[in-house]
Formats: sequence, C-alpha cells, structure tokens
Amino acid sequence: MKLYLGLLESFPPHQPRIFTEVSGKLVDLNLACAARFAQVEHNPSSAYELAAFYFPDTIAAFLQRGEQALKALNEVVSFLHKSGSNELRGPADEKVVYEPREVRLLPPLQNPEKSFVIGFSDKARIEAMPKAEIPTGYYKLPQTFVTTGVPIVWPKFSEELDADACLALVIGKAGKRIPPEQAWDYIGGATILLDITARDVNRREGLTTNNLLGKNFPSSTSLGPAIWLKPTRKELENVDVKLSLDGSVKQEFALRDCVFTIEQIIARWSILGIQPGDFLAIGASMALQGDRLQNPAPLKIGSEVCCFSPAVGELSHQVVSSKGVRR
Amino acid sequence: MKLLTFVHQNQERIGALDDKGRIVDLHRAYESYLREVESNPAAYQMAAVVLGRDIMEFLKRSEKSLDAARKALAYVSQKTNDSNGGTIFKRSEVRLMAPVPRPGALVSAGKNFSDHVAEMSSKKGPAAPVAFLKLPGTVIGPEDDIPHPPEVKNLDYEVELAIIIGKPCLDVTEEEALEYVAGYAAFNDISARDVIRSENKTGIHLMGKSFPGFAPMGPYLVTADETPEPQNLKLRLSVNGETRQDSHLGYMIFKIRDMIAYWSQMGLNPGDVLTTGTPRGVAAGRKPDQTPWWLKPGDVVEAEVEKVGLLRNRIVAE
Repeated sequence: MKLYLGLLESFPPHQPRIFTEVSGKLVDLNLACAARFAQVEHNPSSAYELAAFYFPDTIAAFLQRGEQALKALNEVVSFLHKSGSNELRGPADEKVVYEPREVRLLPPLQNPEKSFVIGFSDKARIEAMPKAEIPTGYYKLPQTFVTTGVPIVWPKFSEELDADACLALVIGKAGKRIPPEQAWDYIGGATILLDITARDVNRREGLTTNNLLGKNFPSSTSLGPAIWLKPTRKELENVDVKLSLDGSVKQEFALRDCVFTIEQIIARWSILGIQPGDFLAIGASMALQGDRLQNPAPLKIGSEVCCFSPAVGELSHQVVSSKGVRR
Repeated sequence: MKLLTFVHQNQERIGALDDKGRIVDLHRAYESYLREVESNPAAYQMAAVVLGRDIMEFLKRSEKSLDAARKALAYVSQKTNDSNGGTIFKRSEVRLMAPVPRPGALVSAGKNFSDHVAEMSSKKGPAAPVAFLKLPGTVIGPEDDIPHPPEVKNLDYEVELAIIIGKPCLDVTEEEALEYVAGYAAFNDISARDVIRSENKTGIHLMGKSFPGFAPMGPYLVTADETPEPQNLKLRLSVNGETRQDSHLGYMIFKIRDMIAYWSQMGLNPGDVLTTGTPRGVAAGRKPDQTPWWLKPGDVVEAEVEKVGLLRNRIVAE
C-alpha cells in the first residue's frame, strides 16, 4: 500500500493530509476513516477525532501510532473497496476521493531528524571497492526537500550537476543500538530519493572530508512520491529502481546489489537513535552493476530527470536555470 | 537583549533576562503590557500571535517580535513585585534550554583558526570556508549533561561562537552579512575523534559530530544590537577548572562575515545556526600524548565566549 502527503485547495496550507491510491484516485484517509466510523461503528460524535488520531497531518506521526494505525488503515481500505470508493463522502457529505491532479503532493517526509544518504566519497569509490568497512553517510537538510513535478533549480555556484537514484528505507519504529538480527522490525516502508549533487563543489569539499554546499541547496533532494508501506523483505530487496535522463535509463539497481546489507546500515546508524519518519537512503552508485559501481548521471539545463520504481511511483523533474527564478 | 528558552512546569517558554538577572516569561509579560498599558481586550491571544509559539517562530517574526519583547521586558522589569505570578522567575526556578533548541540547519566550521589547523597537523588552511552539518537534534542546554557514548574512546571539546540567523539570507555579500544575524550564543562542538577518523577513511564524517547531546548552546541568544563587534571577543574553555583553550575570534581565517556570505549560497533561514570553528587547545592536538585530555564521565566542561555567556556541562556515561 502507498501513502501520499498532499495539500488540498479546500484546506489551509499548513494542514497537509494523508492519501492513499485506490483505482487511480487519491483518497483522503482522514475523512474516509471518519466516514467509516460514522457508518460502520454508528459513532458519528467521535468520528472526526478518532480519524484525526489515526491519520494526523504527517506520515511520520501516522507511523508513530504503530500497529493500531496500520490496522485502522487496513480497515479503511477494505471499507473503501466494499462501499465503492468513488461514491464515498465524509460524515457531513465532504469530498473524500480526488483526481491526482487535484492534490498538490508534498515530500512524504517533512522534517525528519535523521535524513541520511549512505554514501561513498570519490576516494572510497576507487580504493574501497568492493566493500568499505562501515556504511558512512551524509545528512540531507530537510529544507532542501522537494517532490515530483517541482523544477530542480541549477545553483549559481556550480558548473557541474548530477543525479543519483536512491531507495530510502523509512523507519517505522523508534529504537537505539538495534542489533542486526532485529533490524528488519524497524523498517516501516520505503520511498525514492533523488540526490542532486553539485559535483565540482562536492569534489572540492571532499578534499577536507566535508560534504555540505555540494549536497544541500534548494531542490537538491527530491523525495517521494509516496511511502511504500511495510514491504516484505523479499519485495524490498528485489524492487527495481531506475534513473532516466531525457528518456534513456542511466542507472538501475535493487537493494540486493548494494555493498551493504539493510542489517548493517540499520545497526550502524541506529547508534544515534532512530525515530518513525527518519530515513536511510541507499544510492544507485553504491550498487554493483556487473562488477563495477554505477555513476551518478550528469545533468544540464533543460534535462528531464526521472527516478522510478514500480512499487513507489515516479519522481519527475526538469532542470531549470536560476535566472528568472524569483528569490 | 538576552533571549532564552526555558522550561517551567514541563512547558517550553520563550524568555528574556532582565537587568537583575531574572528570567521574564515573554508571553506573560507582553500579555500584561497589552492588557495594562494598551487596554487590549484580547491580550493573551495577541501576545501569542505577535511572539509566536517558540523561538523559531519568534525569529521569523523578526523586528515585530523583538520590538514586542523589548516593550514587555521594559514594562515588567520596572515592577517591584510579580503581581500576576508566573511572569518573572529566579534562574534557579527554571531549567534553561538552548536559546534555539532545534535549529533548522546547524552549520559548523572546521579548520577555521590557523593555530588549530596547525595542531591538527593539517598542512595549510583551506582556500574556501570548510564546514559540516551537525544534526539539529544534538543541541542541548547550557547546563545539561553530555552523554559519553559507549562507542566513543576519544571524546573532545571545541569552544566556538554560535551565530543565529535572523532573516532569510541568499547570496548576500560580506558587507551586508551581519544584518542577517539575530544574535550570538556560546557553543561547544563536542566531537568523537576516533569515530570521525574511522568515518573519514571511506567517507564523510557525520556520526562523530552528531551523537545525542553533542551541541551544548547558550545560555542566551545575545541580540546583535548588543554585540556590535562579534569578531572582537575572547573564547575560553576549561575542563575541571583547568584552562585548555584561551583565544580570540580575531584569529578566525574566514571571519563571521565571510562565513555568512559563503554559506548563504545554500540559502539560510531564521533559526539556522553557524558556528565559528575552534582555536587551538583541543585534546586531539595535545603533544605528545593526547590521553590525559580526552573527556571522561564526571568531567565538567566550561565553554565561555566573552560578553556572550558560559556553558557548564558535565560528562555522564551513557
């Protein structure tokens, strides 16, 4: 199942809503849940409050509710299928089902404390093949997040931009110092991350083992479009992630090709403590294609860059010049 | 003005220090001012709107919230007694958090004092400002304990000045850079040197700077108007009373203005924090043997920036 975060014109902009996809439409889960409580449980008085508890205004908070929220989600979805989702209205006849174009999608995770990409430096790519000792990582600032459809603005300070497709493991349960054998229990889902790098700046920063400006500028991180909830281990390890540039595929990987296992990555980074809605993203350039690592795809102004996975959906972006963009 | 965030009865509040060293709850004080001076019938609601819910919202409101805070502080501190109760506190009655407990971005400079570059055996100073991101969740208050993680053998300290951004800031020049600063605080960039070393072998250091509690900040945000010469301040750090770092911000390679201008290329927002980097005297730079200086549970670290304030944190085993 997939969860989206989005804004509706009929709701204030500081109130994002959680949606799921049913037969090509987006269903407002909060109101669908309220409709179910009002109809099935004959309890209209507390329907809105209960629905708001299970489907709050962030997916991170939904994940934090744990098993009970997942159960509520399953109940709402089977209710949708039973009642015919297209006709469903809220307890006070509110609209519940939307065409995708009516919803402005947001990055599904808004302000995680740990938003890490597991990475290699260039030096490591050369010297540490095929296996580095520990999965090192870097932090992507939440203020750089965008999602599908939003243009990637070429930063003034760079001459050389590239893109790397990543699959982000989304944490579903809080934990600290998680032993590898328990790591799987902490995964709540997955999403796609498109990691944009100003490579010239990144190369220079790499000389001092730093990684800041080259990885963190407005629109340097695209996330989404959905959270793929609770995949099985087999599904997660085998799902394809592809990056295409102007229509031709430049990167292709699955987690099974990565140089680190999910267990190693969770065990390592949970040392700092992890929370629902945090993520650890694994890039295509950490995955082996044949016997070599893949390279990030070089961009130019006007490039159409697209990152997609059958289980999560598609992030699609055009690269635009910073000229003419209002500051 | 000295702005701060404090906890009273489990509630996070915005405050300011009055001239008697007392802590004034700004929402309560501004509410009194609005009701008693301006006869505002919706004083409570108005105070909440004008000041914002927390320091991040306060900083986004820029001059408007600052102006209200000044009025509120002036009004209540001339009162001889706290007639409403719950507006003015003694320092001992509350727990101070960092003035900005959860910054947006926390950009920490590295290799930014020539004497520190030398002690860390780097060949020469960098050509452009060097910095890394610390996780905003690592920030703790001026008197909170610093947990010593069991994974860490070489725990180190770094006294720095924290620069708190007050206005959205993109591609600004060195000349105008200081206009974007809300204020300053003392900062201690706690570092796990052994973890950083192992991360640097194959990648970028992140964990070694970002264990929980690795960023004591405070005690106040001293507003920019009270700190006309931020580059002209002394820094000092001691462990169990023994001075380890004793220097001056004048020795910075890239000055505060240069740092703001350079990092504004990534776009900075109110509540983002830059830190200056540290001078010589860290444990990792001790010759020939570093061992006696690594921080251990029970140590008390005092990091002080002249005219800005003092942090006093105890190391505790995690």
